[in-house]
Amino acid sequence: MSKDWRSYEPLLIPDIPNLHKIDVYEQNGGYSALRNVLNDQDTWSRENVVNEVKEANIRGRGGAGFNAGLKWSFMPKPDGGPRYLACNGDESEPGTFKDRAIFEYNPHIFIEGAIIAAYAMTVDTIYVYLRGEYIAWVRMLQEAIDAAYEKGYLGKNILGKKGIDIDMHVAYGAGAYICGEETSMLESLEGKRGYPRIKPPFPAQKGLWGRPTTINNIETLSNVPLVINNGAEWYKNIGAETHPGPILYGISGHVNKPGVYELPSGVPVMDLINEVAGGIRGGKKFKALIPGGSSTPVLRADQLEDVTMDADSLRTAGSMMGTAGMVVMDEDTDMVDVLWRISHFYRHESCGQCTPCRDGTGWLEKVLLKIRNGEGEIKDLDLLLDITTMMEGRTICALADAAAWPVRHTINRFRDEFEARCKKSVHAIA
Amino acid sequence: MSEVFIDGKRYEFEGDHMALQFIMDLGKEVPFFCYHPAMSIPGNCRQCMVKAGQYIKNQDSGEYELDENGERKVRWFPKMQISCSLKLTDGMVIQTQETSEEAERAQKDTMEFLLINHPLDCPICDQAGECPLQIQTYKYGPEGSRFEVKKVHRPKRVQLGPRVTLDAERCINCTRCVRFTDEISKSHQLTIVSRGAKNYPTTSPDETFDDPYSLNTVDICPVGALTSTDFRFKARVWEMSQTPSIDITNGKGCNIDLWTRDNEVLRITPRYNKEVNDHWMPDAGREAYKLFNENRVSRPSITLDGDDQPHTSWNNAIETFAEILEANDSENILVIGSPHASVEENYAVNKFFNLLGAPNARFVSHIVPGSGDGFLITDDQAPNTNGCRLLNIDEASPEALRSAVNNASVVIILADDLVGRGVLSKNDLNNPYVITFATNYSDTTRASDLVIPITCVAEHAASYINVDGRIQRSFPAKETKYTNRRLNLEMSEGRLDRYGTSFDNWVSDDNKIDCRPAWDFLNKLAERLGLGFSYLHSRAILAEIADQIPAFEGVSYERMDEENGIQLITEQQEIKQD
Repeated sequence: MSKDWRSYEPLLIPDIPNLHKIDVYEQNGGYSALRNVLNDQDTWSRENVVNEVKEANIRGRGGAGFNAGLKWSFMPKPDGGPRYLACNGDESEPGTFKDRAIFEYNPHIFIEGAIIAAYAMTVDTIYVYLRGEYIAWVRMLQEAIDAAYEKGYLGKNILGKKGIDIDMHVAYGAGAYICGEETSMLESLEGKRGYPRIKPPFPAQKGLWGRPTTINNIETLSNVPLVINNGAEWYKNIGAETHPGPILYGISGHVNKPGVYELPSGVPVMDLINEVAGGIRGGKKFKALIPGGSSTPVLRADQLEDVTMDADSLRTAGSMMGTAGMVVMDEDTDMVDVLWRISHFYRHESCGQCTPCRDGTGWLEKVLLKIRNGEGEIKDLDLLLDITTMMEGRTICALADAAAWPVRHTINRFRDEFEARCKKSVHAIA
Repeated sequence: MSEVFIDGKRYEFEGDHMALQFIMDLGKEVPFFCYHPAMSIPGNCRQCMVKAGQYIKNQDSGEYELDENGERKVRWFPKMQISCSLKLTDGMVIQTQETSEEAERAQKDTMEFLLINHPLDCPICDQAGECPLQIQTYKYGPEGSRFEVKKVHRPKRVQLGPRVTLDAERCINCTRCVRFTDEISKSHQLTIVSRGAKNYPTTSPDETFDDPYSLNTVDICPVGALTSTDFRFKARVWEMSQTPSIDITNGKGCNIDLWTRDNEVLRITPRYNKEVNDHWMPDAGREAYKLFNENRVSRPSITLDGDDQPHTSWNNAIETFAEILEANDSENILVIGSPHASVEENYAVNKFFNLLGAPNARFVSHIVPGSGDGFLITDDQAPNTNGCRLLNIDEASPEALRSAVNNASVVIILADDLVGRGVLSKNDLNNPYVITFATNYSDTTRASDLVIPITCVAEHAASYINVDGRIQRSFPAKETKYTNRRLNLEMSEGRLDRYGTSFDNWVSDDNKIDCRPAWDFLNKLAERLGLGFSYLHSRAILAEIADQIPAFEGVSYERMDEENGIQLITEQQEIKQD
């Protein structure tokens, strides 16, 4: 934690009226990163762009936290065939609503970042995948893309540079959580059923239509112009050392001022809840936090002292950064209810491909429903924990893990509440 | 040469191998459901999990690093690996359920998941007895279940198409059927619908699963979700005996198994032969089982005045046959061979009448241009066109045959419905005396003066040469009145065949047809006529063919059995065509 977060000025969604309009964006220095790169291709060779981004250590904002530049460097050498950049704006993890803010308030920073990424990886086509529920934001983004085409930032010979041809297409899903999983998103983009693909081969080798593809989160790509304009060193000084840069915190739940807040990484959790989001609603006591979307393990209030919002601090505390979609719960929250609702979500969203997830998510939900209805027994809690170990790490994608972790950690961290809901079980000891 | 260590043993390999297939090729076992060697690997059943890792090699010396006990150090992969898509690499270590408790545990866990929403209705399920889920549950599954809540309900008894019925509750979503229509039959008719535990395969709305290969999905379905509408509830698999044979409904000669119970063929399934049909066969070939049971010619028939065609005794048939032959000039006897009959039958019939002095036999091929699909359905509707050609039976056009019939006083027809398929008309057969060797009643038998019942492919051992010039043979699967399963060493014996008695409900004489192999009938006719013609078995006929006709050199039943058929015509060779 370097400087105080209170003096931070937003970079991704600054408070500038009508920034979503391309003229306003340009007046505020927009597309200068792209101009600099394309006008000085000796300094900003494709390789140098990749290295600069790698150096800046932009950690993927979609949940996995992988270094974006490093991911770009996995793309094989161009062979003349098509190559793709697929931008993931599906953000379907419950508690996550940050990319929406970018589409609404500053879509051009994402478009600019995506074009630079496409240039760096010699990609000719960019697909942006949004969730179907975001139809209004699909229109906003499409308007921004049309404006960018008009100004010559997209299309043939970008900024008059011969041979720099990049297209951007928007596609949207039909509301399936699984289509936010990167390979499943590729299937969906190809017009198929959203089944995650088996890896290897990784998308960098065989992605969209069997061609090299990189998949980045919307927020991740929006950070790229910042790195190009100000340099990797500057970027690394924002926020937490191992997880630098601005973060869009999506704070929801029992707080007075829920919303998306842009702040550097590594802000103390309690500051975010009490100062940024205006404290717990109705002066209630803070009970628990899901730090990064529903799949990240829940943390009790007493586990959160001195914890900051970055990957390392949260891992030490026993959870994960995820998408920084924070769900705050007050003292009245029924954890059995919460867990059942989360399990219900994953049961509903399991694509059904892998056995442990297809049948395991349903089993978890049904046993939790039984406990919620007061018909459970203590042994059911142990069964639930057992099911989570039977599911974890045994499937093609991470949905089974995402469904298993909340169950395991919520039961372990609030076991007394669960036991209180169970029937007394009587065992004869012979 | 690279090396891999499976369950503590070292094996060498070259090239690309996936662990599961490699392990199975070693004769070992790992349970699996979704994997199929002929299709893509989806890795979705998660049953074939093994523990895998890599022996650590020293970067500089290239030697394996050892720990303090002198054992090689292993870097285990953090998760259990599905062996179906685990590519072997040099120095890989794999522990299957035989040596790794973790792998055994993982497999047991997956099995528990598979079974929680499965209806477990084995007692009324057609798949029971040949069900991978059932078999592997006994071998690798958990004992009992901890599932005490409600199972998921899904559609039952869905008629997906004219031949396939779906019970979605039994489905374990392995997607084999979907991949089959995508990758093998390419009809793309099936897809998975719905999500999670509710998903199951079906067609698009208003589309029917009428793929000409649809029943293959029933074969590859690892549970009882897809069943054959026709065969459903007809028999338990353990009641039937299984006999290898050849599909005779078209020219491809798909390798098949005949499933019989009480001398009735109840179903036909494909038998793997990489050279001919891989794992598949067309649906039409499966429906041929009816030909073996129904509408069969049983006992000789003789036409009296008008259309009356009563049965007669074998003695009378032989006597009548002989009298007709004696009363007519052998020059005027026309023998018509058949692409629908076997090599042995064509040879024996032609030889018999050649001995009598009749001209060489003729045949008319049964080819319907445009009816094939380039896969397993051929334009050729007959199984043995190339057999007739290689036996030097004269190939005739329908016109040429018609004029030959008009000029003949006696016409002998071997198992070919020439009237039914439009080569001859009933009027063509009015003048000459027509004797037909037939397996089933047809327009031709009804226009014949004497009908001799002969054995069909399900009742005799005989060979057929397919459109690609491959000779393959059948085995007797059902008894006739004159054969005995226990005395015939080639006939398979199912449980009921072996232990059934004439006092139970399962074994009877009802389904035995009163017919003889064509050559056997000719033996008796030769005896009556004093002709030097006698064979003990079709094996002896083939031995003579191999001896006499150069194209058949070296062919024997033993070689066919050993090599799964013998390629007689290579692509370069031109087939003699008139």
